Formats: sequence, structure tokens, C-alpha cells
Amino acid sequence: MSVEVKKPGLGEIALTFAAISSTAFGGGQKASVRQQVLNRGWMDHERFMDGLEIAQVLPGPNILNLALYCGQRVRGIPGAVAAFLGASVPPFVIVLIAGALYFKFSSNPYVHGALRGCAAGALGLTIANALELTWDERTEWIRLVLVAITALTVSLLKMPLLLVLVAFGGAGIVHEYLRSRRKPRE
Amino acid sequence: MNSTVETVLHLLWTFAQLSVLGFGGGKGIIPQMHADAVERYGWVTSQQFTQFYTIGKLVPGPTTIFAALVGYAATPGRPIIGAAAATIGMFVPSSIIMVGFDSLWDRFQASPWRTLIAHGLAPAIVGLVWSSVVTIGRGAPASIVAYGITAIVVLLTLRTKIGTPLLILLSGAVGVAALR
Repeated sequence: MSVEVKKPGLGEIALTFAAISSTAFGGGQKASVRQQVLNRGWMDHERFMDGLEIAQVLPGPNILNLALYCGQRVRGIPGAVAAFLGASVPPFVIVLIAGALYFKFSSNPYVHGALRGCAAGALGLTIANALELTWDERTEWIRLVLVAITALTVSLLKMPLLLVLVAFGGAGIVHEYLRSRRKPRE
Repeated sequence: MNSTVETVLHLLWTFAQLSVLGFGGGKGIIPQMHADAVERYGWVTSQQFTQFYTIGKLVPGPTTIFAALVGYAATPGRPIIGAAAATIGMFVPSSIIMVGFDSLWDRFQASPWRTLIAHGLAPAIVGLVWSSVVTIGRGAPASIVAYGITAIVVLLTLRTKIGTPLLILLSGAVGVAALR
């Protein structure tokens, strides 16, 4: 099936991702990008899903990587630059405003209380995220062991991130490789 | 060397390293970022680190944009410069990798390495997220009310569809009433 692919202008690319990055949160961001990119006819669904996969495998925020992929697919390197600016400048400006307010008002007792409450809430979100991600690893006991060893060595021994990824990430990749030779994952 | 220039270079280098190691959307870099920003360079306190992380979750866009706030605090004379340095360090290196790989991507279409990396790295990333819980917990308030907020947010996140910003704002409202 051949789909008519439209070539957007660089401004359109930047503004599309600016609109998403200044309004969408968490998982909603990927859905927004998908909707925009497909509605605007920049690429077909299959191409988009390819991009989503690479965006999640490589380092960097998923939303930013996804924007780069889409920008590059439709307009090459200039498109990627436009997408980068659109996806990163609005959050930067918003967080700068938040920072200025933070340093101006954080000693105010009401703001101080609000910040402490927000911090307790953000801790809860992180715990919930850790629980959900751990649940996804329950398929094999060895994966749960790797989760536990990583958490303990980082928290107790302050193991550097690079070493963690090489040692425990590497162990996970080797395990996955050996497992896939026995029985390919669907 | 001018101290702002020196700090800017440290910010760029520190966040660039975190950027290229930011697998899993950057979920795993929090413990290392804390080790660098709080323990090594003293740019921010543990409490500020946790509050900046919280602001990162509260604003739209990637959570790791809170690197900008670390940079903002690190260069008190020129906060915008520090914030820009930290953000460039955090976002540009991983973006270059992403753009560079895209041209190779089609050649690896049928190759199994994508799944190998994604599935293989996952347990280490999840372990790092548990360490992030410890890291963020160190700068969170220690009181019965705060523990209660945390526990309720865990339950609401797992059991309902309430969005992240709303949960944090509600937590803040409880904080105004009870954590001043």
C-alpha cells in the first residue's frame, strides 16, 4: 500500500512538537505525537511504530527521541533540528519560570508546605512506577534477581551508572540472548 | 578560571554523561544525577533535588528537564546560563545519537538486537528506578502526614486513572494544610 506522504515546513514541525511538549504529560505525549503525525499525513502507522521502538531503545527522553525521528523522517536533519527545538524549548521556558518562582517563594511557609506535600506525592508516583515495572519483570525469576541486585548495589554501594549498565545491563542482555536462542520471543 | 565558566563546563560534562547513559527514557539516571549534583559538586541540597524532580514531574514535557533547575541553582550569578548548560548537556548528546542511528536503522530492521537491548536492559533499569525511590525519599519530608500522602498516591496511581499533575497538586494542597 502506498500512502501519499506530505512534506511539512520546518515551522510546522517545530510548532507541532511545541504544542505537544507544552501541554502533554507522561504517557499522553506518545499518543499526542501519534495522532498529530498520522492526522497530518507525515507517515503511515507502521513507520511511526518503528520510530516509537527506536525512540524507546536508545537513550534520551522518549518524547524527544520520537520528535527527532519524526522530524528527520519528513525533512532530514533540518527537520530533526526543528523538532528538537519544538520539543525542548517550551518545557525549558516553563521550568525556568517554575525555577524563578521557586527561588523567590520557597521560604514562604505556605509554599514550603506545598512543596513538601508535592515531594511526598512525587515519591509515591516513583514507588508506583517501580512496582508496575517490577511486575512486568515477573516472567522470569532471574530478571527479578537482577532488579534486586541492581537496586541494592546502587543504593548501598553507590555503584556508578556506567558500571551498572555494563555489569547488570550486560548480564540482562547476555541472558536475553541465550534465552532467545532457545526460544525466540514473540 | 572564572567560577561561572568552570561550573558551566562541569554542568555540560556531567549532564552529557547522564544523557548518553539515559536508557529507558532516562528513568535510571536519578541516583547518578544525585551523586553528581548533590554529593560531588554540591550544586543543590538533597531536599532541593527532590523538589526539582517533583517540579519536573509537574510540568509538561520530559521529567529530566529538571536538570535545568539544577543548573539554575548551580550558577547563582547567572541562573539562565547554568540552566541552559544543564539542559543542553542533558538533551543534545542523546539527540545526536538518535539522529545518527536513524540512518542505520533500516539496515537493522530484521536484526534481533533491538529486542535484545530493550528486554536485556530492562531489569537493570527497574533496579535503578528502585534506587531512585531511595534517592528521592532522602529529600522528601519525614512525617506521618508525608508518609500518608506517599502511600495514598501509590494506591491512587495503581488503582485509578488520575493524572500525574493532578496527584502532585493534590499532594501539595495537603502539604499547605499540614506540612508547613
